[in-house]
Amino acid sequence: MVAAAFSTLITMETEESQIATGLRRRDPDVLDALIEQYQHRLLRYLAHMTGNRATAEDLFQETWIRVLEKGHQYDGKSRFATWLMTIAHNVAIDHLRKRSPASLDQMRDPEEDIAPFEPVAVGPSPFDQVSASEDMVRIQAALDDLPRIFREVLVLRFQEQLKLEEIAKLVGIPLATVKTRLYRGVMALRPAFMGGAQ
Amino acid sequence: MNGNGHDRAIDLLSRRDVEGIADDDSRWLEMHLQECEECASFDRALSGAENALRSFTVMASASLVESTRARVHARAQELRDHEARMVLIGVSFCLGAITSTLTAWVWWKFGGWIAQWLGLPSGVVEPGVLLFWLLPAVVVAVLMATRPPATFEGSLVQRFMKDRLRGMQ
Repeated sequence: MVAAAFSTLITMETEESQIATGLRRRDPDVLDALIEQYQHRLLRYLAHMTGNRATAEDLFQETWIRVLEKGHQYDGKSRFATWLMTIAHNVAIDHLRKRSPASLDQMRDPEEDIAPFEPVAVGPSPFDQVSASEDMVRIQAALDDLPRIFREVLVLRFQEQLKLEEIAKLVGIPLATVKTRLYRGVMALRPAFMGGAQ
Repeated sequence: MNGNGHDRAIDLLSRRDVEGIADDDSRWLEMHLQECEECASFDRALSGAENALRSFTVMASASLVESTRARVHARAQELRDHEARMVLIGVSFCLGAITSTLTAWVWWKFGGWIAQWLGLPSGVVEPGVLLFWLLPAVVVAVLMATRPPATFEGSLVQRFMKDRLRGMQ
């Protein structure tokens, strides 16, 4: 058990240090492999951050350009996924600030697409599919209504599976604030996924 | 149940699925959840939120990945070109500084000899030699400063996008 964990740790360190070396050299093969590996995760995170798919795609490209430019700053000691999400977070924040310096929480343009990504209903039967689809729409709406600061923590936690400490570092807030945002975000979403029962 | 118990339970619930919790904590949490409806409610909400968020799928299209790669490659090439240029400028500067330092004494003596030969006053000779000594560096600096730098959007990416548009038409 310990040997397996140690082996995993060594493999991860080797992989992360290989990425760091590749980024320092601006190796196109390493960058291609990283884009391939993290394409869906990165786009999903940006889509949640911006609430708009077209904007998320623009920021997706911008994030990889910034990864290329700042690649020498990645030391390979932390997880690459966390570092990538930090870059994406900064790119998204820069974008949101440019759009509206007054507030980062209410950034949705009413003329933009309000359904930025398509929820996939999981269910074997047509009834389940319709039911799940309705649930998804309700949850999507609740998620859209959630202030960005809560939405981001939920996405990083449940979709990206980041540790609370990693989220705190990434977003640049204290650990206690991460826990508070997680708690409040979950409780705010609760009526949406328990809507059928209420 | 006191506030510390709730705080501990919420902290453990928040950490349970990703970081993992110790067996003792897990046993304590199970007992607490059986007694405390508030924390049990948070546990259910946490699971619900997790399931809901994990069921969302956002897929990057092949064209997005392809165009991102093209942009990244173009930018990487531009950065490599920029680095090569900076190395060249650095080496040139070092060589210039070394040869200028080594030959300063010779030029100073040569200037003095010319001034003596032409019968020029020393007030003209000293600034003249200094100007002659610095002139090549000044000319090169002015030329480099006035030359428009190759910009990212104006070069490789625009060429790539034009080629793409031509290909689509």
